[in-house]
Amino acid sequence: MAESEEEVDVLVERVVKDINNALKKNPNIDEIGLIPCPEARYNRSPIVLVENKLGVESWCIRFLLPYVHNKLLLYRQRKLWLDKDALIDITCTLLLLNPDFTTAWNVRKELIQCGALSPEKDLYLGKLALSKFPKSPETWIHRRWVLQSLIQECCPSKACKERSGAVAVTAAQTERLQRILQEEMKACSEAAGRYPSNYNAWSHRIWVIQNLAKDNKKIFLDELSSMKYWVSMHVSDHSGFHYRQFLLKSLVGDPGHMLDKTASALQSTSNEHCASLPKEEEASAEIQRTVVPDLFDEELELCTDLIESYPGHETLWCHRRYVFFLWHHWNHKQGAPLNSSDRPLDNSSATTGGKSAQAMDVDGMMDPNKQVYTQETKRLKRGPLQGCQDLPTEHRFITKTLTDCRSTEQARFAIAYQKWLESVLGQ
Amino acid sequence: MKLYSLSVLHKGASKANLLKAAYDLSSFSFFQRSSVQEFMTFTSSLIVERSSHGSRASVKEQEYLCHVYVRNDSLSAVVIADNEYPSRVCFTLLDKVLDEFSKQVDRIDWPSGSPTTINYTALDGYLAKYQNPREADAMSKVQAELDETKIILVSSVNYMI
Repeated sequence: MAESEEEVDVLVERVVKDINNALKKNPNIDEIGLIPCPEARYNRSPIVLVENKLGVESWCIRFLLPYVHNKLLLYRQRKLWLDKDALIDITCTLLLLNPDFTTAWNVRKELIQCGALSPEKDLYLGKLALSKFPKSPETWIHRRWVLQSLIQECCPSKACKERSGAVAVTAAQTERLQRILQEEMKACSEAAGRYPSNYNAWSHRIWVIQNLAKDNKKIFLDELSSMKYWVSMHVSDHSGFHYRQFLLKSLVGDPGHMLDKTASALQSTSNEHCASLPKEEEASAEIQRTVVPDLFDEELELCTDLIESYPGHETLWCHRRYVFFLWHHWNHKQGAPLNSSDRPLDNSSATTGGKSAQAMDVDGMMDPNKQVYTQETKRLKRGPLQGCQDLPTEHRFITKTLTDCRSTEQARFAIAYQKWLESVLGQ
Repeated sequence: MKLYSLSVLHKGASKANLLKAAYDLSSFSFFQRSSVQEFMTFTSSLIVERSSHGSRASVKEQEYLCHVYVRNDSLSAVVIADNEYPSRVCFTLLDKVLDEFSKQVDRIDWPSGSPTTINYTALDGYLAKYQNPREADAMSKVQAELDETKIILVSSVNYMI
Protein backbone atom coordinates (compact mmCIF):
# COMPACT_ATOMS: atom_id res chain seq x y z
CA MET A 1 0.00 0.00 0.00
CA ALA A 2 1.95 3.00 -1.25
CA GLU A 3 1.57 6.02 0.93
CA SER A 4 2.15 9.57 -0.18
CA GLU A 5 4.08 11.90 2.04
CA GLU A 6 0.96 13.69 3.21
CA GLU A 7 -0.71 10.40 4.03
CA VAL A 8 2.31 9.36 6.09
CA ASP A 9 2.24 12.68 7.94
CA VAL A 10 -1.42 12.30 8.76
CA LEU A 11 -0.95 8.68 9.81
CA VAL A 12 2.01 9.44 12.06
CA GLU A 13 0.34 12.41 13.70
CA ARG A 14 -2.63 10.18 14.44
CA VAL A 15 -0.42 7.47 15.92
CA VAL A 16 1.44 9.93 18.14
CA LYS A 17 -1.91 11.23 19.33
CA ASP A 18 -3.20 7.71 19.94
CA ILE A 19 -0.19 6.78 22.04
CA ASN A 20 -0.40 9.88 24.18
CA ASN A 21 -4.17 9.68 24.56
CA ALA A 22 -3.87 6.07 25.67
CA LEU A 23 -1.34 7.11 28.30
CA LYS A 24 -3.50 10.01 29.45
CA LYS A 25 -6.68 7.96 29.64
CA ASN A 26 -5.07 5.04 31.43
CA PRO A 27 -2.53 6.03 34.07
CA ASN A 28 -2.11 2.40 35.06
CA ILE A 29 -0.30 1.30 31.93
CA ASP A 30 2.73 -0.59 33.16
CA GLU A 31 4.18 -2.23 30.09
CA ILE A 32 4.81 -1.51 26.43
CA GLY A 33 5.44 -3.99 23.67
CA LEU A 34 5.82 -4.53 19.97
CA ILE A 35 3.17 -6.61 18.22
CA PRO A 36 4.57 -8.49 15.24
CA CYS A 37 2.22 -7.43 12.48
CA PRO A 38 3.76 -6.99 9.04
CA GLU A 39 0.76 -5.33 7.41
CA ALA A 40 -1.90 -2.93 8.53
CA ARG A 41 -5.30 -4.52 8.73
CA TYR A 42 -8.37 -2.48 7.91
CA ASN A 43 -8.14 1.14 8.81
CA ARG A 44 -7.33 0.60 12.44
CA SER A 45 -4.90 2.34 14.72
CA PRO A 46 -1.69 0.37 15.30
CA ILE A 47 -1.98 1.23 18.98
CA VAL A 48 -3.48 -1.59 21.01
CA LEU A 49 -4.38 -1.36 24.67
CA VAL A 50 -5.03 -4.59 26.55
CA GLU A 51 -5.17 -4.88 30.34
CA ASN A 52 -2.77 -2.03 31.09
CA LYS A 53 -0.38 -3.18 28.37
CA LEU A 54 0.27 -0.80 25.50
CA GLY A 55 1.18 -2.44 22.21
CA VAL A 56 2.35 -0.98 18.92
CA GLU A 57 1.86 -2.97 15.74
CA SER A 58 5.16 -3.37 13.99
CA TRP A 59 3.98 -2.28 10.53
CA CYS A 60 3.81 1.37 11.53
CA ILE A 61 7.31 1.63 13.00
CA ARG A 62 9.02 2.30 9.69
CA PHE A 63 6.78 5.31 9.14
CA LEU A 64 6.59 6.46 12.71
CA LEU A 65 10.15 6.40 13.93
CA PRO A 66 11.94 8.33 11.14
CA TYR A 67 9.19 10.97 11.11
CA VAL A 68 9.21 11.82 14.82
CA HIS A 69 12.99 11.44 14.98
CA ASN A 70 13.36 13.97 12.19
CA LYS A 71 10.87 16.36 13.68
CA LEU A 72 12.74 16.47 16.97
CA LEU A 73 16.08 17.04 15.27
CA LEU A 74 14.59 19.92 13.24
CA TYR A 75 13.34 21.44 16.47
CA ARG A 76 16.78 21.07 17.98
CA GLN A 77 18.32 22.77 14.97
CA ARG A 78 15.82 25.60 15.41
CA LYS A 79 14.36 24.92 11.98
CA LEU A 80 11.01 24.02 13.44
CA TRP A 81 9.06 25.34 16.35
CA LEU A 82 7.23 22.93 18.63
CA ASP A 83 5.20 23.94 21.64
CA LYS A 84 5.69 22.26 24.99
CA ASP A 85 2.81 19.82 24.63
CA ALA A 86 3.97 18.73 21.19
CA LEU A 87 7.47 18.23 22.57
CA ILE A 88 6.17 16.11 25.41
CA ASP A 89 4.11 13.96 23.03
CA ILE A 90 6.89 13.55 20.49
CA THR A 91 9.64 12.74 22.96
CA CYS A 92 7.30 10.30 24.67
CA THR A 93 6.62 8.48 21.42
CA LEU A 94 10.29 8.48 20.46
CA LEU A 95 11.53 7.18 23.78
CA LEU A 96 9.02 4.35 23.90
CA LEU A 97 10.41 3.18 20.58
CA ASN A 98 14.07 3.98 21.22
CA PRO A 99 14.93 4.96 24.77
CA ASP A 100 18.61 5.33 23.99
CA PHE A 101 17.96 8.47 21.97
CA THR A 102 19.73 10.89 24.31
CA THR A 103 18.54 14.03 22.52
CA ALA A 104 14.95 13.21 23.38
CA TRP A 105 15.81 12.77 27.06
CA ASN A 106 17.69 16.06 26.98
CA VAL A 107 14.67 17.87 25.56
CA ARG A 108 12.72 16.46 28.48
CA LYS A 109 15.38 17.72 30.89
CA GLU A 110 14.75 21.23 29.55
CA LEU A 111 11.00 20.76 29.92
CA ILE A 112 11.46 19.70 33.53
CA GLN A 113 13.72 22.65 34.24
CA CYS A 114 11.18 25.16 32.94
CA GLY A 115 8.41 23.47 34.86
CA ALA A 116 6.43 22.24 31.86
CA LEU A 117 6.95 18.59 32.76
CA SER A 118 6.69 17.02 36.17
CA PRO A 119 9.68 14.87 37.22
CA GLU A 120 7.36 12.13 38.41
CA LYS A 121 5.72 11.94 34.98
CA ASP A 122 9.13 11.68 33.40
CA LEU A 123 10.17 8.90 35.77
CA TYR A 124 6.99 7.09 34.83
CA LEU A 125 7.89 7.26 31.14
CA GLY A 126 11.30 5.87 31.97
CA LYS A 127 9.71 2.95 33.78
CA LEU A 128 7.56 2.20 30.76
CA ALA A 129 10.55 2.29 28.46
CA LEU A 130 12.40 -0.06 30.82
CA SER A 131 9.56 -2.57 30.60
CA LYS A 132 10.65 -3.24 27.05
CA PHE A 133 14.29 -2.18 27.24
CA PRO A 134 15.35 -3.14 30.77
CA LYS A 135 19.00 -2.36 30.19
CA SER A 136 18.71 0.93 28.29
CA PRO A 137 21.73 2.87 29.55
CA GLU A 138 20.44 6.30 28.54
CA THR A 139 17.21 5.73 30.42
CA TRP A 140 19.03 4.93 33.64
CA ILE A 141 21.44 7.83 33.20
CA HIS A 142 18.61 10.28 32.59
CA ARG A 143 16.78 8.85 35.57
CA ARG A 144 19.68 9.76 37.80
CA TRP A 145 19.61 13.33 36.52
CA VAL A 146 15.92 13.62 37.40
CA LEU A 147 16.46 12.10 40.83
CA GLN A 148 19.42 14.39 41.45
CA SER A 149 17.33 17.46 40.66
CA LEU A 150 14.55 16.16 42.90
CA ILE A 151 17.00 15.64 45.75
CA GLN A 152 18.27 19.20 45.32
CA GLU A 153 14.71 20.47 45.28
CA CYS A 154 13.81 18.68 48.50
CA CYS A 155 17.01 19.12 50.43
CA PRO A 156 18.77 22.46 50.49
CA SER A 157 22.52 22.38 49.90
CA LYS A 158 24.95 21.95 52.73
CA ALA A 159 25.97 25.63 52.55
CA CYS A 160 22.36 26.58 53.03
CA LYS A 161 22.14 24.26 56.00
CA GLU A 162 25.07 25.79 57.78
CA ARG A 163 23.83 29.33 57.24
CA SER A 164 20.34 28.75 58.53
CA GLY A 165 21.48 26.47 61.34
CA ALA A 166 18.71 23.99 60.64
CA VAL A 167 17.70 21.65 57.87
CA ALA A 168 14.59 23.00 56.19
CA VAL A 169 13.23 19.63 55.14
CA THR A 170 9.51 19.49 55.51
CA ALA A 171 7.64 16.33 56.35
CA ALA A 172 5.99 16.43 52.93
CA GLN A 173 9.36 16.52 51.18
CA THR A 174 10.70 13.66 53.27
CA GLU A 175 7.63 11.67 52.42
CA ARG A 176 8.03 12.52 48.74
CA LEU A 177 11.63 11.31 48.78
CA GLN A 178 10.61 8.15 50.61
CA ARG A 179 7.98 7.41 47.98
CA ILE A 180 10.49 8.07 45.24
CA LEU A 181 12.99 5.75 46.91
CA GLN A 182 10.42 2.97 47.04
CA GLU A 183 9.47 3.56 43.41
CA GLU A 184 13.10 3.33 42.35
CA MET A 185 13.59 0.07 44.23
CA LYS A 186 10.56 -1.28 42.45
CA ALA A 187 11.76 -0.10 39.03
CA CYS A 188 15.16 -1.72 39.63
CA SER A 189 13.62 -4.99 40.76
CA GLU A 190 11.39 -5.20 37.74
CA ALA A 191 14.20 -4.42 35.33
CA ALA A 192 16.45 -6.94 37.10
CA GLY A 193 13.76 -9.57 36.64
CA ARG A 194 13.44 -8.84 32.94
CA TYR A 195 17.06 -9.41 32.04
CA PRO A 196 19.58 -11.69 33.74
CA SER A 197 22.46 -9.98 35.55
CA ASN A 198 21.13 -6.58 34.59
CA TYR A 199 24.20 -4.59 35.54
CA ASN A 200 22.64 -1.23 34.67
CA ALA A 201 19.61 -1.81 36.86
CA TRP A 202 21.64 -2.95 39.85
CA SER A 203 24.19 -0.14 39.51
CA HIS A 204 21.31 2.29 39.49
CA ARG A 205 19.94 0.67 42.62
CA ILE A 206 23.29 1.19 44.33
CA TRP A 207 23.37 4.83 43.23
CA VAL A 208 19.85 5.41 44.59
CA ILE A 209 20.71 3.90 47.95
CA GLN A 210 23.88 5.95 48.12
CA ASN A 211 22.13 9.20 47.27
CA LEU A 212 18.64 8.86 48.67
CA ALA A 213 19.38 6.82 51.77
CA LYS A 214 22.88 7.96 52.58
CA ASP A 215 23.14 7.50 56.32
CA ASN A 216 20.03 5.51 56.84
CA LYS A 217 21.38 2.24 58.16
CA LYS A 218 17.90 0.86 58.57
CA ILE A 219 17.27 1.04 54.82
CA PHE A 220 20.51 -0.82 54.14
CA LEU A 221 19.46 -3.53 56.59
CA ASP A 222 15.96 -3.65 55.13
CA GLU A 223 17.35 -4.04 51.62
CA LEU A 224 19.67 -6.82 52.75
CA SER A 225 16.75 -8.64 54.30
CA SER A 226 14.22 -8.06 51.53
CA MET A 227 16.56 -9.15 48.73
CA LYS A 228 17.24 -12.51 50.32
CA TYR A 229 14.33 -14.16 48.57
CA TRP A 230 15.15 -12.56 45.24
CA VAL A 231 18.73 -13.80 45.15
CA SER A 232 17.58 -17.25 46.29
CA MET A 233 15.43 -17.41 43.20
CA HIS A 234 18.15 -16.00 40.92
CA VAL A 235 21.19 -17.97 41.95
CA SER A 236 23.19 -17.16 38.85
CA ASP A 237 22.50 -13.44 38.89
CA HIS A 238 25.90 -12.09 39.71
CA SER A 239 24.68 -8.47 39.84
CA GLY A 240 22.11 -9.36 42.48
CA PHE A 241 24.76 -10.83 44.71
CA HIS A 242 27.07 -7.91 44.01
CA TYR A 243 24.32 -5.68 45.40
CA ARG A 244 24.37 -7.67 48.63
CA GLN A 245 28.14 -7.30 48.72
CA PHE A 246 27.74 -3.54 48.38
CA LEU A 247 25.18 -3.41 51.22
CA LEU A 248 27.34 -5.56 53.46
CA LYS A 249 30.44 -3.55 52.77
CA SER A 250 28.63 -0.29 53.51
CA LEU A 251 27.22 -1.60 56.77
CA VAL A 252 30.49 -3.14 57.78
CA GLY A 253 33.20 -1.27 55.94
CA ASP A 254 34.26 1.90 57.62
CA PRO A 255 32.65 2.39 61.02
CA GLY A 256 34.38 5.74 61.54
CA HIS A 257 33.06 7.11 58.30
CA MET A 258 29.43 6.24 59.00
CA LEU A 259 29.73 7.61 62.47
CA ASP A 260 31.17 10.91 61.30
CA LYS A 261 28.26 11.37 58.94
CA THR A 262 25.70 10.46 61.56
CA ALA A 263 27.33 12.82 64.03
CA SER A 264 27.43 15.80 61.65
CA ALA A 265 23.88 15.20 60.47
CA LEU A 266 22.68 15.24 64.06
CA GLN A 267 24.67 18.37 64.83
CA SER A 268 23.08 20.35 62.04
CA THR A 269 19.53 19.30 62.85
CA SER A 270 19.43 20.64 66.33
CA ASN A 271 21.96 22.18 68.71
CA GLU A 272 19.93 21.24 71.77
CA HIS A 273 20.68 17.61 71.07
CA CYS A 274 24.40 18.20 71.44
CA ALA A 275 24.39 16.58 74.83
CA SER A 276 23.13 13.31 73.40
CA LEU A 277 25.70 13.31 70.59
CA PRO A 278 28.34 11.10 72.25
CA LYS A 279 25.65 8.53 73.06
CA GLU A 280 24.63 8.28 69.39
CA GLU A 281 28.24 7.67 68.45
CA GLU A 282 28.67 5.02 71.06
CA ALA A 283 25.40 3.38 70.16
CA SER A 284 26.52 3.19 66.54
CA ALA A 285 29.82 1.63 67.52
CA GLU A 286 28.09 -0.88 69.74
CA ILE A 287 25.72 -1.74 66.91
CA GLN A 288 28.82 -2.19 64.79
CA ARG A 289 30.26 -4.78 67.12
CA THR A 290 27.12 -6.79 67.80
CA VAL A 291 25.15 -6.48 64.58
CA VAL A 292 28.02 -6.89 62.15
CA PRO A 293 29.08 -10.42 63.13
CA ASP A 294 25.43 -11.41 62.88
CA LEU A 295 25.28 -9.95 59.38
CA PHE A 296 28.28 -12.03 58.32
CA ASP A 297 26.77 -15.03 60.03
CA GLU A 298 23.52 -14.73 58.14
CA GLU A 299 25.21 -14.00 54.82
CA LEU A 300 27.48 -17.03 55.01
CA GLU A 301 24.57 -19.15 56.14
CA LEU A 302 22.52 -17.97 53.16
CA CYS A 303 25.43 -18.71 50.87
CA THR A 304 25.95 -22.20 52.32
CA ASP A 305 22.26 -22.95 52.04
CA LEU A 306 22.13 -21.92 48.38
CA ILE A 307 25.36 -23.71 47.45
CA GLU A 308 24.01 -26.92 48.94
CA SER A 309 20.56 -26.59 47.40
CA TYR A 310 21.66 -25.50 43.94
CA PRO A 311 24.93 -27.15 43.01
CA GLY A 312 27.03 -25.86 40.16
CA HIS A 313 26.43 -22.10 40.24
CA GLU A 314 29.69 -20.18 40.15
CA THR A 315 28.00 -16.95 41.27
CA LEU A 316 27.36 -18.45 44.70
CA TRP A 317 30.99 -19.42 45.12
CA CYS A 318 32.16 -15.96 44.04
CA HIS A 319 29.81 -14.49 46.60
CA ARG A 320 31.23 -16.74 49.27
CA ARG A 321 34.76 -15.58 48.48
CA TYR A 322 33.75 -11.96 48.83
CA VAL A 323 31.85 -12.42 52.08
CA PHE A 324 34.53 -14.52 53.67
CA PHE A 325 37.24 -12.11 52.60
CA LEU A 326 35.29 -9.15 53.98
CA TRP A 327 34.70 -11.01 57.23
CA HIS A 328 38.35 -11.96 57.47
CA HIS A 329 39.39 -8.35 56.86
CA TRP A 330 36.87 -6.90 59.32
CA ASN A 331 37.80 -9.45 61.93
CA HIS A 332 41.43 -8.46 61.69
CA LYS A 333 40.62 -4.77 62.04
CA GLN A 334 38.50 -5.42 65.12
CA GLY A 335 40.89 -7.82 66.77
CA ALA A 336 44.03 -5.67 66.74
CA PRO A 337 43.29 -2.00 67.47
CA LEU A 338 46.61 -1.60 69.27
CA ASN A 339 48.46 -2.29 66.06
CA SER A 340 46.94 0.79 64.47
CA SER A 341 50.41 2.24 63.89
CA ASP A 342 51.03 0.02 60.87
CA ARG A 343 47.54 0.74 59.51
CA PRO A 344 47.05 4.53 59.42
CA LEU A 345 43.50 4.31 58.08
CA ASP A 346 42.43 2.36 61.15
CA ASN A 347 43.39 5.11 63.58
CA SER A 348 40.00 6.79 63.56
CA SER A 349 38.03 3.60 64.02
CA ALA A 350 40.41 2.37 66.68
CA THR A 351 40.13 5.49 68.80
CA THR A 352 36.40 5.76 68.30
CA GLY A 353 36.09 2.11 69.17
CA GLY A 354 38.18 2.66 72.25
CA LYS A 355 36.05 5.52 73.49
CA SER A 356 32.91 3.51 72.88
CA ALA A 357 34.29 0.50 74.69
CA GLN A 358 34.87 2.67 77.74
CA ALA A 359 31.38 4.08 77.71
CA MET A 360 29.47 0.91 76.88
CA ASP A 361 31.47 -1.57 78.88
CA VAL A 362 29.15 -2.80 81.61
CA ASP A 363 31.90 -4.76 83.32
CA GLY A 364 33.42 -1.44 84.21
CA MET A 365 36.75 -2.06 82.52
CA MET A 366 37.95 1.40 81.59
CA ASP A 367 41.29 0.30 80.25
CA PRO A 368 41.44 0.53 76.42
CA ASN A 369 44.00 -2.27 76.48
CA LYS A 370 41.23 -4.55 77.63
CA GLN A 371 39.17 -3.79 74.53
CA VAL A 372 40.30 -6.93 72.74
CA TYR A 373 39.43 -9.12 75.71
CA THR A 374 36.02 -7.52 76.05
CA GLN A 375 35.22 -8.12 72.42
CA GLU A 376 36.38 -11.70 72.61
CA THR A 377 34.35 -12.47 75.72
CA LYS A 378 31.33 -10.87 74.17
CA ARG A 379 31.78 -12.93 71.04
CA LEU A 380 32.24 -16.12 72.99
CA LYS A 381 29.29 -15.31 75.21
CA ARG A 382 27.11 -15.14 72.12
CA GLY A 383 27.79 -18.77 71.49
CA PRO A 384 29.26 -20.59 68.51
CA LEU A 385 28.71 -18.75 65.27
CA GLN A 386 27.52 -21.03 62.56
CA GLY A 387 29.78 -21.19 59.55
CA CYS A 388 31.17 -17.77 60.11
CA GLN A 389 34.41 -18.45 61.80
CA ASP A 390 37.68 -19.10 60.16
CA LEU A 391 39.68 -21.09 57.70
CA PRO A 392 39.21 -24.50 59.34
CA THR A 393 35.43 -24.09 59.13
CA GLU A 394 35.67 -23.17 55.49
CA HIS A 395 37.91 -26.13 54.76
CA ARG A 396 35.41 -28.40 56.49
CA PHE A 397 32.66 -26.94 54.33
CA ILE A 398 34.68 -27.60 51.19
CA THR A 399 35.39 -31.18 52.22
CA LYS A 400 31.74 -31.81 52.96
CA THR A 401 30.73 -30.34 49.60
CA LEU A 402 33.23 -32.50 47.74
CA THR A 403 32.01 -35.62 49.52
CA ASP A 404 28.33 -34.96 48.96
CA CYS A 405 28.24 -33.43 45.55
CA ARG A 406 27.42 -35.25 42.35
CA SER A 407 28.01 -32.37 39.99
CA THR A 408 31.39 -32.05 38.32
CA GLU A 409 31.02 -28.30 38.21
CA GLN A 410 30.30 -28.08 41.90
CA ALA A 411 33.45 -30.09 42.61
CA ARG A 412 35.46 -27.81 40.34
CA PHE A 413 34.19 -24.68 42.12
CA ALA A 414 34.84 -26.19 45.55
CA ILE A 415 38.41 -27.06 44.65
CA ALA A 416 39.01 -23.62 43.15
CA TYR A 417 37.68 -22.05 46.35
CA GLN A 418 40.04 -24.17 48.37
CA LYS A 419 42.99 -23.06 46.29
CA TRP A 420 41.88 -19.44 46.60
CA LEU A 421 41.67 -19.70 50.38
CA GLU A 422 45.14 -21.13 50.54
CA SER A 423 46.78 -18.66 48.20
CA VAL A 424 44.96 -15.46 49.11
CA LEU A 425 44.45 -15.87 52.80
CA GLY A 426 47.32 -18.31 53.01
CA GLN A 427 47.82 -19.36 56.56
CA MET B 1 14.69 -19.73 38.54
CA LYS B 2 11.52 -20.39 36.59
CA LEU B 3 9.32 -23.09 35.14
CA TYR B 4 7.50 -22.06 31.98
CA SER B 5 5.52 -25.06 30.83
CA LEU B 6 4.52 -28.53 31.91
CA SER B 7 2.95 -30.95 29.42
CA VAL B 8 1.79 -34.52 29.26
CA LEU B 9 1.96 -36.25 25.89
CA HIS B 10 1.59 -39.67 24.39
CA LYS B 11 4.41 -40.84 22.20
CA GLY B 12 2.73 -42.36 19.16
CA ALA B 13 4.37 -44.40 16.44
CA SER B 14 5.23 -41.35 14.35
CA LYS B 15 3.90 -38.36 16.23
CA ALA B 16 3.51 -37.11 19.78
CA ASN B 17 -0.02 -36.36 20.95
CA LEU B 18 -0.54 -33.55 23.45
CA LEU B 19 -2.87 -34.61 26.24
CA LYS B 20 -2.62 -31.74 28.71
CA ALA B 21 -0.48 -28.66 29.26
CA ALA B 22 0.01 -25.84 31.73
CA TYR B 23 1.93 -22.62 31.14
CA ASP B 24 3.32 -19.82 33.25
CA LEU B 25 4.32 -17.05 30.88
CA SER B 26 4.03 -14.19 33.34
CA SER B 27 7.70 -13.35 33.03
CA PHE B 28 7.42 -12.74 29.29
CA SER B 29 6.27 -9.47 27.76
CA PHE B 30 2.55 -9.48 27.34
CA PHE B 31 2.53 -9.34 23.56
CA GLN B 32 5.07 -12.13 23.21
CA ARG B 33 3.18 -14.66 25.26
CA SER B 34 1.11 -16.30 22.55
CA SER B 35 4.10 -16.92 20.29
CA VAL B 36 6.17 -18.16 23.23
CA GLN B 37 3.41 -20.60 24.12
CA GLU B 38 3.28 -21.86 20.55
CA PHE B 39 7.03 -22.37 20.59
CA MET B 40 6.85 -24.34 23.83
CA THR B 41 4.00 -26.55 22.69
CA PHE B 42 5.80 -27.30 19.44
CA THR B 43 9.17 -27.94 21.09
CA SER B 44 7.68 -30.25 23.73
CA SER B 45 6.08 -32.33 21.01
CA LEU B 46 9.24 -32.45 18.93
CA ILE B 47 11.39 -33.53 21.86
CA VAL B 48 9.04 -36.38 22.78
CA GLU B 49 8.99 -37.55 19.18
CA ARG B 50 12.77 -37.62 19.07
CA SER B 51 13.30 -39.30 22.45
CA SER B 52 13.37 -43.04 22.89
CA HIS B 53 11.15 -45.05 25.18
CA GLY B 54 12.39 -45.33 28.74
CA SER B 55 14.66 -42.29 28.51
CA ARG B 56 15.19 -39.08 30.38
CA ALA B 57 16.94 -36.11 28.82
CA SER B 58 17.68 -32.44 29.32
CA VAL B 59 17.62 -30.56 26.03
CA LYS B 60 18.96 -27.06 25.70
CA GLU B 61 16.96 -24.92 23.29
CA GLN B 62 17.76 -21.20 23.05
CA GLU B 63 17.89 -19.97 26.62
CA TYR B 64 15.59 -22.72 27.91
CA LEU B 65 16.18 -26.17 29.28
CA CYS B 66 13.59 -28.78 28.35
CA HIS B 67 13.50 -31.82 30.58
CA VAL B 68 11.74 -34.84 29.17
CA TYR B 69 10.77 -38.26 30.46
CA VAL B 70 9.38 -40.82 28.06
CA ARG B 71 8.09 -43.91 29.84
CA ASN B 72 8.16 -47.38 28.40
CA ASP B 73 4.38 -47.27 28.06
CA SER B 74 4.71 -44.17 25.81
CA LEU B 75 3.32 -41.77 28.37
CA SER B 76 5.61 -38.73 28.38
CA ALA B 77 6.04 -35.42 30.11
CA VAL B 78 8.07 -32.33 29.32
CA VAL B 79 8.87 -29.41 31.58
CA ILE B 80 10.50 -26.30 30.14
CA ALA B 81 12.60 -24.33 32.61
CA ASP B 82 15.34 -21.71 32.66
CA ASN B 83 18.97 -22.61 33.28
CA GLU B 84 18.91 -21.86 37.01
CA TYR B 85 16.17 -24.29 37.93
CA PRO B 86 17.67 -27.52 39.33
CA SER B 87 17.11 -30.35 36.87
CA ARG B 88 16.80 -32.94 39.62
CA VAL B 89 13.63 -31.35 40.89
CA CYS B 90 12.28 -31.29 37.31
CA PHE B 91 12.70 -35.04 36.96
CA THR B 92 11.02 -35.65 40.29
CA LEU B 93 8.14 -33.53 39.06
CA LEU B 94 7.88 -35.42 35.76
CA ASP B 95 7.83 -38.76 37.57
CA LYS B 96 5.16 -37.57 39.93
CA VAL B 97 2.92 -36.12 37.24
CA LEU B 98 3.06 -39.18 35.01
CA ASP B 99 2.43 -41.49 37.93
CA GLU B 100 -0.66 -39.54 38.91
CA PHE B 101 -1.86 -39.03 35.35
CA SER B 102 -1.66 -42.73 34.53
CA LYS B 103 -3.82 -43.51 37.55
CA GLN B 104 -6.45 -40.91 36.74
CA VAL B 105 -6.71 -41.18 32.99
CA ASP B 106 -7.46 -44.46 31.21
CA ARG B 107 -4.73 -45.83 29.01
CA ILE B 108 -7.20 -46.21 26.19
CA ASP B 109 -7.59 -42.44 25.97
CA TRP B 110 -3.90 -41.70 25.59
CA PRO B 111 -3.31 -42.19 21.86
CA SER B 112 -6.27 -40.11 20.73
CA GLY B 113 -6.96 -37.73 23.60
CA SER B 114 -6.60 -33.93 23.50
CA PRO B 115 -6.49 -31.19 26.13
CA THR B 116 -10.23 -30.64 25.74
CA THR B 117 -11.19 -34.29 26.17
CA ILE B 118 -8.72 -35.35 28.86
CA ASN B 119 -9.88 -35.00 32.44
CA TYR B 120 -6.77 -34.17 34.45
CA THR B 121 -6.57 -30.84 36.20
CA ALA B 122 -3.51 -30.99 38.44
CA LEU B 123 -0.94 -29.55 36.03
CA ASP B 124 -1.57 -25.85 36.76
CA GLY B 125 -1.27 -26.51 40.47
CA TYR B 126 2.00 -28.38 40.08
CA LEU B 127 3.47 -25.70 37.84
CA ALA B 128 2.61 -23.03 40.40
CA LYS B 129 3.82 -25.03 43.38
CA TYR B 130 7.11 -26.02 41.81
CA GLN B 131 8.06 -22.43 40.91
CA ASN B 132 9.89 -22.51 44.20
CA PRO B 133 11.81 -25.79 44.12
CA ARG B 134 12.56 -25.79 47.83
CA GLU B 135 8.95 -25.42 48.88
CA ALA B 136 7.90 -28.11 46.48
CA ASP B 137 10.35 -30.82 47.27
CA ALA B 138 12.88 -31.71 49.93
CA MET B 139 16.18 -31.59 48.09
CA SER B 140 17.73 -34.38 50.04
CA LYS B 141 15.06 -36.81 48.95
CA VAL B 142 15.65 -35.96 45.34
CA GLN B 143 19.39 -36.34 45.52
CA ALA B 144 19.08 -39.87 46.80
CA GLU B 145 16.52 -41.14 44.34
CA LEU B 146 17.73 -40.37 40.90
CA ASP B 147 20.69 -41.89 39.14
CA GLU B 148 22.05 -38.97 37.21
CA THR B 149 24.25 -40.95 34.90
CA LYS B 150 21.17 -42.13 33.06
CA ILE B 151 20.05 -38.64 32.08
CA ILE B 152 21.04 -37.68 28.58
CA LEU B 153 22.23 -34.12 28.05
CA VAL B 154 21.51 -32.65 24.65
CA SER B 155 22.81 -29.27 23.58
CA SER B 156 20.11 -28.59 21.03
CA VAL B 157 16.92 -30.08 19.69
CA ASN B 158 18.59 -30.12 16.29
CA TYR B 159 21.01 -32.76 17.48
CA MET B 160 18.23 -35.18 18.31
CA ILE B 161 17.68 -37.64 15.50
